[in-house]
Amino acid sequence: MKKKKRLISDFYELKVNQIMDKRVWDLPLIEDKEDVYHVLAILGGRNHIWVVKDKKEKELVGVITEHDVLSILAPKDFPSYVFGMPNISSIQHGTAKTAEDIMCHRIISCGPGDKILDALMKMVKYRLRRLPVLKDKKIVGELTLHQLIRKYYDATQYKPIVEDEEG
Amino acid sequence: MIKTEFEIIFNVLLLIAIALIFARIIGYLFYRLKQPAVIGEVIAGVILGGIIVAYFSGQEFYILSYKLPLPNLNFYSNNPDPFYLLAQIGILFILFISGLETNISRMKRLGKTSVSVAIGGVILPLVLGFILGLILGFSIQVSIVIGLILTATSVGVTVRTLMDIDELDSDVGTTILGSAVIDDVIGIVLLAFVLGAESMMGLAAVGIRIAIFFFIFLYIGLKIIDKILDLGDKIHLPRAFLSISLAILLIYSFFSDKAGISGIIGAFIAGLLIGQNVRSRKIVEDIKSIGYGLFIPLFFVWIGVSLWEGYETNYSSIMHISILFLALLFISIIGKIIGCGAGAKIAGMSNRESLQIGVGMIPRMELALVISTAAINHSILNGEIGQEILLVTILIAISTTIITPFLIKATFKNEE
Repeated sequence: MKKKKRLISDFYELKVNQIMDKRVWDLPLIEDKEDVYHVLAILGGRNHIWVVKDKKEKELVGVITEHDVLSILAPKDFPSYVFGMPNISSIQHGTAKTAEDIMCHRIISCGPGDKILDALMKMVKYRLRRLPVLKDKKIVGELTLHQLIRKYYDATQYKPIVEDEEG
Repeated sequence: MIKTEFEIIFNVLLLIAIALIFARIIGYLFYRLKQPAVIGEVIAGVILGGIIVAYFSGQEFYILSYKLPLPNLNFYSNNPDPFYLLAQIGILFILFISGLETNISRMKRLGKTSVSVAIGGVILPLVLGFILGLILGFSIQVSIVIGLILTATSVGVTVRTLMDIDELDSDVGTTILGSAVIDDVIGIVLLAFVLGAESMMGLAAVGIRIAIFFFIFLYIGLKIIDKILDLGDKIHLPRAFLSISLAILLIYSFFSDKAGISGIIGAFIAGLLIGQNVRSRKIVEDIKSIGYGLFIPLFFVWIGVSLWEGYETNYSSIMHISILFLALLFISIIGKIIGCGAGAKIAGMSNRESLQIGVGMIPRMELALVISTAAINHSILNGEIGQEILLVTILIAISTTIITPFLIKATFKNEE
């Protein structure tokens, strides 16, 4: 039991860049002006897409999850009160044209040097299952709950948590 | 606390419960009729204030010889009247949510057509309303308020109609949505001027006050908001972050009121500020739940109820209201069609598209009611004048939202 407690404490102290997926070439990336059907094509196989200004610079401007697609796929039910700028993105009404139209622009992120504890707390607070890892606003990797679970479980099975740090 | 004070508190709680039930049932009926729920909620207030409370409050009924006394239900019970207090918090929530939902980066992307349409749609109704006010013998400040009521578009009905005819994704639909957001913001800034200026001579002083307020509370706020919200994040108590955000709303409202530019402006700025922060993701839905679930319906019910306060119906007042209503309705329609249409034409749209945009910008609703109420609260609209203009605002809101769908469909008819 003591060993397990120490293990979780050590796990919390790890840095994000020791666990995150650094294969930027394999991240689901899309440019903000790309067609909504391209978004649907990617989301057919992935759970989320990171939206960048352009794929070379990789400056992150938004994220699209399955939930965002649900809101444009389902028939639009307009709220009875309208204050500010209403969200009218809908496939049915042709108002969801590009990735930019459906992405969530308020991005909760973490840095490569952040502790895993802080990343976990962010995931809990904002009810997120993944965080983009940003360096100077550019996406350098992603940290998913799935990775965290796998790494922690591996550690309980006496495998070093950061064995594939460089890979 | 003595028993009667407890009775008053629980009577007010009962009144709130009845108001919420009425608001939601009648609001839903209007929603089913494809009309804004807001109209139903205001009418709920009219029914509640004028009929239910007036005739049933404090009465005794007998069921099978059992006496059933009804409690004393009074909308104006104490000072400050608790129902009024909740309704006023409702206005703050409307502006706070407007600020939260105003996406500055999306606003920056709006094209010059939307800006041009919004400016045309603000200037002409404002000027025409002002001139009409002067012709009808109102003071300069009251005339400006009349003009201001006509500036802000409520886009809900237009969006639903454009959805019905499958034109929401057209250039016209996009322009209307963008322009409606801009004219809301212009309306709120102009309202700050009107509420702050005690006279026309004081406009420069108000301008300086507003500039200082915006600088301190928006610019510096943007610099430190992260640290303040961080404090809310660090307090590990349930919904501490929400509490800190609500505290910011109330503090901003307090200081903007003290700065003489009305608490609702502070509420809007607080919403704008928090809405730009990524952490707002956590609280937007919570704030909407509190606002839409409690305070905002009570505000709309209160508007309906307040029409009965000391109201005396006589032939001359009915005539006066009818003339004011018809004249303002005409101006509200013509002002937007010509003002927005001219703005669209200048930006390079066709005659038909300009007409469609002008027609789509006709509806007035939430912000018009907020402006009337704010002017009454600041004693710019007093007594009978205040009630007349509030009633006319409600009638214009109802009429424009009923007329607009027909006009939109007519302007899109036979379009290739």
